Amino acid sequence: MAREITFMEEPHAAAEVRKILHPLVAEWFFRKFDDFSLTQLYGVKTISDRKNILISAPTGGTKTLTAFLGIINYVVGLALKNELEEKIYAVYVSPLKALSNDIFVNLEAPLSEIYDLAKERGLEMQNIRVGVRTGDTTVSERAKHARKVPHIYVTTPESLAIVLTTTKFVENLSALEFIIVDEIHAMANKRGVYMSLTLERLCELSLIEPVRIGLSATIAPLEDIARFLVGEGRDCLIARVKLMKKIDIGLISPAKDLIEADSIQSQKELYKILDGLIQDHKTTLIFTNTRAATEKIIHYLDLHFPGKYNELIGAHHSSMSKENRFEIENKLRKGELKVVVTSTSLELGIDIGNVDLVILLRSPKGVARALQRIGRAGHKLHSNPKGRFIVTDRDDLIECGVMMKGMIENKIDRVDIPKNALDVLAQQIYGMAISKIWRAEDMLKMIRKSYCYADLSEEDFFAVVSYLAGDYALEHRHVYAKIWYDATSGEIGKRGKTARIIYMTNIGTIPEEGFISVVISAPVEKRGQIIGKIDEAFLEKMKRGDVFVLGGHKYQFIRSQGMKAYVIADVSKSPTIPSWFSEMLPLSYDVAIEIAKFRRLVKEKIENKKKTLDFIKEYLYCGDIEADQMYDYLSEQAKFSEIPTDKELIVEKFKSDKEYLLFHSMYGRRVNDALSRAYGFAAARLKHRDIEVGINDNGFYLAGEKLDENKILDWVKAKDLELILKEAIETTDVLRRRFRHCASRSLMILRTYKGRSKTVGKQQMHSHFLLAAVRKISNEFPILQEARREVFEDVMDIHRAKGILKDIENGKIKVKKVRTPLVSPFGLNLILQSHADLIRMEEKLQFLRRMHKLQMGIIESKEGNGKE
Amino acid sequence: MEIKYIGKTLLIEDSGERVLVIGDLHLGYEEAMRTNGILVPSGIYEEIVREIELVFDYLEKKRKKVDKVVLLGDVRHEFGRILKSEWKEVLDFLDYLKEKIGKKGEIVVVKGNHDTMTVNIVKKKNIEIVDYYIWGGLAFLHGDKDFDVVYDKDIKYWVMGHAHPAVVLQDKKSVKKEKYKCFLVGKFKRKEIIVVPSFFPIVEGSDVTGLNGNELGLAWDFKLGSFEVKIVEGEESLETLDFGRLNKF
Repeated sequence: MAREITFMEEPHAAAEVRKILHPLVAEWFFRKFDDFSLTQLYGVKTISDRKNILISAPTGGTKTLTAFLGIINYVVGLALKNELEEKIYAVYVSPLKALSNDIFVNLEAPLSEIYDLAKERGLEMQNIRVGVRTGDTTVSERAKHARKVPHIYVTTPESLAIVLTTTKFVENLSALEFIIVDEIHAMANKRGVYMSLTLERLCELSLIEPVRIGLSATIAPLEDIARFLVGEGRDCLIARVKLMKKIDIGLISPAKDLIEADSIQSQKELYKILDGLIQDHKTTLIFTNTRAATEKIIHYLDLHFPGKYNELIGAHHSSMSKENRFEIENKLRKGELKVVVTSTSLELGIDIGNVDLVILLRSPKGVARALQRIGRAGHKLHSNPKGRFIVTDRDDLIECGVMMKGMIENKIDRVDIPKNALDVLAQQIYGMAISKIWRAEDMLKMIRKSYCYADLSEEDFFAVVSYLAGDYALEHRHVYAKIWYDATSGEIGKRGKTARIIYMTNIGTIPEEGFISVVISAPVEKRGQIIGKIDEAFLEKMKRGDVFVLGGHKYQFIRSQGMKAYVIADVSKSPTIPSWFSEMLPLSYDVAIEIAKFRRLVKEKIENKKKTLDFIKEYLYCGDIEADQMYDYLSEQAKFSEIPTDKELIVEKFKSDKEYLLFHSMYGRRVNDALSRAYGFAAARLKHRDIEVGINDNGFYLAGEKLDENKILDWVKAKDLELILKEAIETTDVLRRRFRHCASRSLMILRTYKGRSKTVGKQQMHSHFLLAAVRKISNEFPILQEARREVFEDVMDIHRAKGILKDIENGKIKVKKVRTPLVSPFGLNLILQSHADLIRMEEKLQFLRRMHKLQMGIIESKEGNGKE
Repeated sequence: MEIKYIGKTLLIEDSGERVLVIGDLHLGYEEAMRTNGILVPSGIYEEIVREIELVFDYLEKKRKKVDKVVLLGDVRHEFGRILKSEWKEVLDFLDYLKEKIGKKGEIVVVKGNHDTMTVNIVKKKNIEIVDYYIWGGLAFLHGDKDFDVVYDKDIKYWVMGHAHPAVVLQDKKSVKKEKYKCFLVGKFKRKEIIVVPSFFPIVEGSDVTGLNGNELGLAWDFKLGSFEVKIVEGEESLETLDFGRLNKF
């Protein structure tokens, strides 16, 4: 099907835009604003002309009003002619739940002001109704919507999917004219996949083809986002609005010598710098990436400057209660806080007022994310956003430097939108079957209109239908079939009287993450005390004997049961596991490649110090101190081993307690995750032993008793990658956890059933069982397949990993093996902080027998000692 | 008297008679899950039969005829009303056992906490369900309740289920972690105690490390640290491995 995705070259002229406005709307607009914003010049007329458009503009633009203005203009025109019908003209979808403020400013206030103006002018005007429905909307409000049809309907993706199964309400959507998708950049995930199908359903039931309007912050690639917005076979214009905003940005290294960055002196220096920056600005927002770091910064600011920040500082992160977060947001908007420290939770949405400086402590791991964060400063239209990177180690320094370059040169890293997600598909097919009886081929045709399912295979589609129809349950079909499928007539319909209730109460794609209570089991006097919560992913990383920090105290992990972790309190050993690991953001592939390229450019001239320093300063737009530090770091690596680049993959081998192979694969965490497991699997297979692997954004290592690097490197071939990984992930925690999420999304595990909700703990327990049972039935069960896809494509990046392997095979990337006496400077962070996991090769039974021998050995030697 | 550990089961021989002891079965588990909104594919019953068949095959090879089978309770899973599949699976399983042990053989069902209405099913096969069963110097119990008679001085052994004991083994150096079903064998009030793992497949049970009897839901607060652990190899093997005392883990 022909479709065109076109970038708009020029905005419309102001006079042209003005011409299309109804005189009353124009009068209202120019009473309130001096002129159209650039975004409005791009968008308003395009929308009025009924063309699909994706508007990408940095935060602080006037995107939401742009989207609404054309629509307001149209419905006001109708209302003045008394031609307003009882139907929904426009649907506005936003992933944010707390959007009432935004909607008031950009929709409700304009409408009521125009209404007042009409009165003033003595004009008759029908009332234009706005209906808001989110998860928090009360039953009585919903009933009101059913009685009095709102003309503009504001909702979330989940609530929209629910109303699509309500026969009565759907009638109101049968001549829908506009769909607005706000914050579309935040939907490059399963929630967005889900929404893309909901939009197709919406279009399918509307007799006219609604115009689609997407609003996005800076994101790439815009062509893909546009396709994602409009679906297959439809045209879309893209407005890339370059606001006149200049970013004021800088890179700060808190210590002369970053190797000592953890020392007390440099910590002191860090807080001095923070305090200075905060004092020089009105309101400062600090991003720290993790919850733990957020708490730590607040604690230490208070420690270094007692009393100074008491009432003027606030924390904001996702594990705080909704009320507490709301309070902080309010205070921020009112200007009552001097500084707010946040993990990532303030990246999105809601207007947060007059922040004039954003500090990025540690790398934000992607250019788009960095821009988004810095855009939080100067949210007001005409002020320039201002941001500072503060780095914590030398990897961080180079990473932030490269990212800053990307921001200045507008090189945005690309996002990937999940394709062919079978769990989301299952939920949607169920929803569709609830609405009406479908012909399977029509259903598939409609699904394939979504960008996310354009190449969905018939086989996968029918596998999901079979699952929903209960085919995998064999003789128990009647018990849990959700739909019926009649192969002769080719028709699909719902099963069971409670289908709609099950659907409504279990809809959604955001997995519930479990929190594990940490309970003291020793010493005895503290036994049973609950000291706090950790998340599931973190628990999965722990083994018996590990020491971790929670709430400023150290605990030793003994065992877990259900949703409880039992620990020993008052331990003096050092932590063995960093508590922030599970929250780490992965470095984007594009930034990683830029770092590798930067390394190459430096490597080419490293012999000449002055030339190198000049190059660094010019290339990364940074100062002398930072350039010096980068030079030192790179030349240390050059002397000790060799600098890895985008064209040379350095593999170092060294021996300490075991043999280590360290791959300096600068491809970002998701690619490294895939590569490390493949090479780890090779090493394990060759020796028939489990191999430890550790990964971070910059590389990975394998550790084992004896490693043959030549054999290991030869064993992994691009064409086999998928097969290797399929075997390598089969017994991992990550597959198990993703399976639980997929089982819940595909309604295999109903979170709410017969009026009762299941705790995450229950879900987890059941999913463990379910996975084992599913495997016994079929290893190709669609929901298990989906969990694998999620691990391959969303957690890892199997496609780019394959590309790297191909480049190694065709010589574009050279692999160089280097022996080092110990870990090289570039490898240090990897060994110290990486996430260690295991490639399991040893069968469960073999492991038991080996452990048995070991245990017997211990017992005998103890008994032996006793006798002496 | 001789006690043999055969996979997840016990074979006890005394005065020419042989008793096969089978732990918690939780038949009907899948349907119970489905009625809770969890869509489990079927196959557990078939797995249970396959696994018990391994035991009978082994005994046949050794020419050891079983005279009695003692089920240690929680034959079915759902507490309340009897589910359709429970009717079918419990009756099928009893028929299967009958066929294996012959006409003269006897099946004893000890009542578990899940067995509120199991009596209605087993009576169809003329089998009684009992709170405990005394045979020679042994008392077979489910484990959730205490009974005065079991303290009789002629009773040397208490054999029970209910706790689903399992242990987690970890490799010190690496991050490998695996869970195994196990027997717990120890002493309490001068009785020999044997806690039998659940026969239920797929789920191993509760990690007992660091816990005492009450914490496992047993009626007695056994000091499990001093109990010997016998790990069930599982899969196709019927071996068990001695791992010494639990507190030495």
